[in-house]
Amino acid sequence: MISEGKKTLWNDYQKEIADDNYFYARSCIRQNFFPGAEKTFLKILKEELKKDVYDDPRHTTCTGIAYHSDVVSLETTMTVVARQFALMTERGYRNFVPSCITSFGIYTEIMELWEHHPEIEDKIRHLLFKATGREFKVPANLAHSSDIIYKYRNEIAGMSKFKLINKNTGAPLRVVEHIGCHYARMFPHKGIGGAEYPCVLSGLAETFGAEVIDYPERRACCGFGFRQYVIQANRGYSISCSKRKFESMAPYKPDLIITNCPGCPYFLDSWQYVISEMEGKTYGQKGQGIPVLTFEELSGLMMGYNPWDIGLQMHQIPVEPLLDKIGVEYQQDDKYCDAQGRTFGKPVIPEMIKIC
Amino acid sequence: MKNYFQRLKSDIRFEEGLRACINCGTCTAICPAASFYDYDPKKIATQVQSANDEVIEALLKSDTIWYCGECMSCKTRCPRGNTPGLIIMALRQLSIETGFFVESEKGRQVLALKRILGGSILNRGYCVHISTMNHALHPEQGPVWGWIRDNAKGLYNRLGGNFEEEGPGALRKIADEDLKELESIFEVTQALSRFESIEKFSAAKAKSMGYNLTEKADDPYFQMVYTANSGKHKKSRL
Amino acid sequence: MRALKKEVVIIGGGPAGLEAADSLNKLGHAVTILEKEERPGGKLSNWHKLFPDNVSADGILKQMIQKISGDIHLITNAKIRKISHEGKKYSVWFNEGQCIQAEAVLVAVGFDLFNASLKEEYGYGIYDNVITSAELESMFVNQKSLVTATGKTPGRVAFIHCVGSRDEKAGFRHCSSMCCVTGVKQAIEIKKRLPGTDVMMFYMDLRMHGRFYEDLYLEAQEKHHIQFIRGRLSESSENPDSSLLLKADDTLAGSPIKVRADMMVLLLGFVPTDFHKKMGEEFGVEIGSDGFFSPCDSHLDTNSAKTTGIFVAGACTGAKSLEYTLADARSASLKIHEFLLRSPSSNILN
Repeated sequence: MISEGKKTLWNDYQKEIADDNYFYARSCIRQNFFPGAEKTFLKILKEELKKDVYDDPRHTTCTGIAYHSDVVSLETTMTVVARQFALMTERGYRNFVPSCITSFGIYTEIMELWEHHPEIEDKIRHLLFKATGREFKVPANLAHSSDIIYKYRNEIAGMSKFKLINKNTGAPLRVVEHIGCHYARMFPHKGIGGAEYPCVLSGLAETFGAEVIDYPERRACCGFGFRQYVIQANRGYSISCSKRKFESMAPYKPDLIITNCPGCPYFLDSWQYVISEMEGKTYGQKGQGIPVLTFEELSGLMMGYNPWDIGLQMHQIPVEPLLDKIGVEYQQDDKYCDAQGRTFGKPVIPEMIKIC
Repeated sequence: MKNYFQRLKSDIRFEEGLRACINCGTCTAICPAASFYDYDPKKIATQVQSANDEVIEALLKSDTIWYCGECMSCKTRCPRGNTPGLIIMALRQLSIETGFFVESEKGRQVLALKRILGGSILNRGYCVHISTMNHALHPEQGPVWGWIRDNAKGLYNRLGGNFEEEGPGALRKIADEDLKELESIFEVTQALSRFESIEKFSAAKAKSMGYNLTEKADDPYFQMVYTANSGKHKKSRL
Repeated sequence: MRALKKEVVIIGGGPAGLEAADSLNKLGHAVTILEKEERPGGKLSNWHKLFPDNVSADGILKQMIQKISGDIHLITNAKIRKISHEGKKYSVWFNEGQCIQAEAVLVAVGFDLFNASLKEEYGYGIYDNVITSAELESMFVNQKSLVTATGKTPGRVAFIHCVGSRDEKAGFRHCSSMCCVTGVKQAIEIKKRLPGTDVMMFYMDLRMHGRFYEDLYLEAQEKHHIQFIRGRLSESSENPDSSLLLKADDTLAGSPIKVRADMMVLLLGFVPTDFHKKMGEEFGVEIGSDGFFSPCDSHLDTNSAKTTGIFVAGACTGAKSLEYTLADARSASLKIHEFLLRSPSSNILN
């Protein structure tokens, strides 16, 4: 692999990312399964980078999962999106930052569509006004939350306490990244690094000192497929997609998987558990699975945040082997406590995946 | 009147998604659905570009149009700038409008999707919510999920959540006036009437299959469409 | 009947330019060839054997270069700056202020090969074992053995058709028409050198349209057992051992396939040169939607540009084989000759 070749390509995919004044939109999946990731993103932006980022209680889903499961129309989705823009406008913000990649894809697609078809934008303005009395401005800048982290990766790494380096051997940790289909497949120029060799995650991991591994099924989908997961009868599709990726990355012995989209870590994490239960097969070392982190969790971990304050206890694949490699200190009992230190008791231990 | 092709053409996604297919297979080669199901996106493109309403009607009634995962990988690849994924979205919309979705096993799942996702959006403001994702519906979530659900408030609030409370934060309670706005948008953009029609077509189909569709969470027809798998969808290997 | 000697400038010293120079010279005109490279010959210089009959490209080129004599002047390393005209006189400016005057200008700048790195999903310049058809041909010319990046004889080589052709994403809708036969020729050459190597062709439509091209296709299948898969390559990626994983759809079998190959050869399409755009923008020479020059009439006069006094020949009006390039050059020469005869300043000597 000639990594210089990728870097040359990246020059063609320089994306404009606003440097402040962000209106944040939470993700359906991320806030349920990785709430600590959203918390970490906001903390890094507000407290470390001193940015103005607004988390409006009035905003909602963009309807993305329902849209891509075909139960709501494009018109419905566009009007809900228009309401999000209206909230942003009313609060005096210009730059829209979704936490979700499906949303990012939808916002991008809608903004492109409106640019080429102003009559559709007009129609949506009318529908939104009719439904809510609200009016909106189209964001001056749209960036996924990972784009912002990428933009400030050097500042974040500069403040970090840890590196993605094995503290015992001094060797860089081996990272595979999974970008999420709707980040740049539809509009390659809207993704940092383009659709084929995106660098939004690989660039971040390298900044933290990791060795990023490109594996044959890197580009393949995690298998969400919307209706292919939401409906139980279809989940064979979903797990087979994830399994193809695990089989392809396993020979490289990755220390961790990092992810961009909220859905992908959910699948790459839970399907490892299911494969272990169904087939007795575990990936990663010592039967412990390959840990999966979101880009926010990774950044928080490097900053030295308590792993149990950023939500790593919600993962099915245990993160402790990774924490040990990096040299992050943690208290095992604290993993199962609330903010006040009251214990919940431990979850049942799965049969196949080895939990520390 | 069978003007399916014309109706497809009125969907902007169809117009953006199909120019003319060269049958090269770059979409099929990387399509996750094509590697799992008996599915071929280039065949869809060829069929719809025939502009033949009989062929399109057969598609609208088939399992085939429900196999795609809408990952949109096809968009990046097509040398002609087509997007089979967008064609599928237009076909699915038309299948729902015409009620043909109930004619196939995968199509009937629309009812479950409508209830799960539509219900969650209108009641919670988000497509999914921990409160509705129980272990029976999501066994793949493993023991950790049960533990998270049992300790939701304390756990989410440690992780930046504002569980079921007013104000900002993960899994906050979305205020009634905001939910009303969503419902109003669903009203004016005909999402509610679309939901009603999904229920109506499904109820009729349920009846013909010997069910009496109710609104209960454990409704047998709902359970059936959520779990039924004839096992006849996968690609047969040579 | 003899025409008074006229001056003609030919831009481009590839096969078309050389052949036209010879013809025009034989018709009694003085010709100056302006060639941008150090040596004449264009892309033919980097060609091993010609399809469909395996004639040595070097031998042909030598014969063509031998014809540069008498009233044919070759100026190499000539970078064209400007073309201007005053009445019937054309001035072609090149390098630092140098100028040649002529009564007609023949543009024979040929084509460029598609920049393979633009087809990002194929990994040219990123994966170790992806090469272009031009690089493979150059290996044949220089008698280099075909080995992988780690120096091993490849167990399987995959040829990828239509790289930069019939691809609107890559910016080129046209069929380059010569890559199919080039690929088959090169595949056979590999089999002759490395009989133990598997060779596969991933094609969309095999356009073996020239005389005896189909025979080459038959030979590839019958004699060399080269496999033809009807499916355009969707993407490739690199395996841990730096071999490649190819994803395509076997459209005839109706199934997506994944194939491991040790090397991949990209059959590059013919694309317009930077000079095409310059000629279009600065000198008003008409350019077609494919970026190549459009002649006066697509059937009746394929060599005159719409701009009076400017002529076009060879692959600069679209992909052509050597055979058709040379014929086109001779045809252009005749058109130029007619133009010069018609020119009012011509004195016809009986």
